[in-house]
Amino acid sequence: MAVNAFSDEWAVRFKDEVNKSSVYKAAAKGWKWTVGLVIEAEPDKNVPESVGVVMDLFDGEARDIHVGPASEAQSCQFVITAPYTRWKQVATKELDATKGMLQGKLKLKGDLPTIVRYTKASQELTECTTRVPVQWPDER
Amino acid sequence: MHDAGPGPMARRKVKTSKPVTYADAEPSAFASMLGGLIEANVESRPERKKDFDSLAARVGIWVTDIDEGVTLVFERGALLVHNGLEPKRDITIRADADTVMNLSNLKIGLFGMPVYYDEVGRGVALKLLQGKMRIDGLVGNLATLNTVTRIFSVAG
Repeated sequence: MAVNAFSDEWAVRFKDEVNKSSVYKAAAKGWKWTVGLVIEAEPDKNVPESVGVVMDLFDGEARDIHVGPASEAQSCQFVITAPYTRWKQVATKELDATKGMLQGKLKLKGDLPTIVRYTKASQELTECTTRVPVQWPDER
Repeated sequence: MHDAGPGPMARRKVKTSKPVTYADAEPSAFASMLGGLIEANVESRPERKKDFDSLAARVGIWVTDIDEGVTLVFERGALLVHNGLEPKRDITIRADADTVMNLSNLKIGLFGMPVYYDEVGRGVALKLLQGKMRIDGLVGNLATLNTVTRIFSVAG
């Protein structure tokens, strides 16, 4: 059953998908930093306020993933920021996250060598988002 | 009385400039990312710094699936990053985004040679063999390519 994008239910399902992924577990071995995703508001798409997704990822496991204010996500050690439409493109595989970062469509803050070292893990995180059936706010 | 002539202090080199600068007023996201990656790598790893300080070369990188590229002008201890491909390049690497990222994940092995026999290395070598990664100017510049690979490498 589809859940509302970037809702509490979505965060629980996303966390489950991450923890089910053997690919992520292997690729993220050694990762020990928090990651925040900032989904910037697009009022015309039914996203009136920016939203944050806060991920406590540790050594191949998602210890916690929750939705909160954008400011909480911005205080994570790694922060990826993009407007709502871009995140939707990533989650529906219209936009590859690596390409998006190289093109500046997704803005990254954090230690670059570390994130590059874990490219495969971040790609698998993106894959996990695509496995959660979602109802998008602009399609409601 | 103050002596205005050159004293012993005049010969002291004080390096204050940043190792990586950008030729364009608005560097592209790719240019900023690559420049930032090299800067962080060089500042945190002395062995990368040694390579950086010795390299003089013009290296182009073109990402085929986003149609964007950069030219990296290494000038022994300084790097100037240009948006796009500039003329007179020694080496030009053309590959898709994933492969370009994987170049940074190549491990460096014995004698400073990139490792092509592990999973990442085999993937890069396969792209080369399949023609999905092209390196122009490789002949005569193999040592330069290895040095550039080491400067990029975030792997052990």
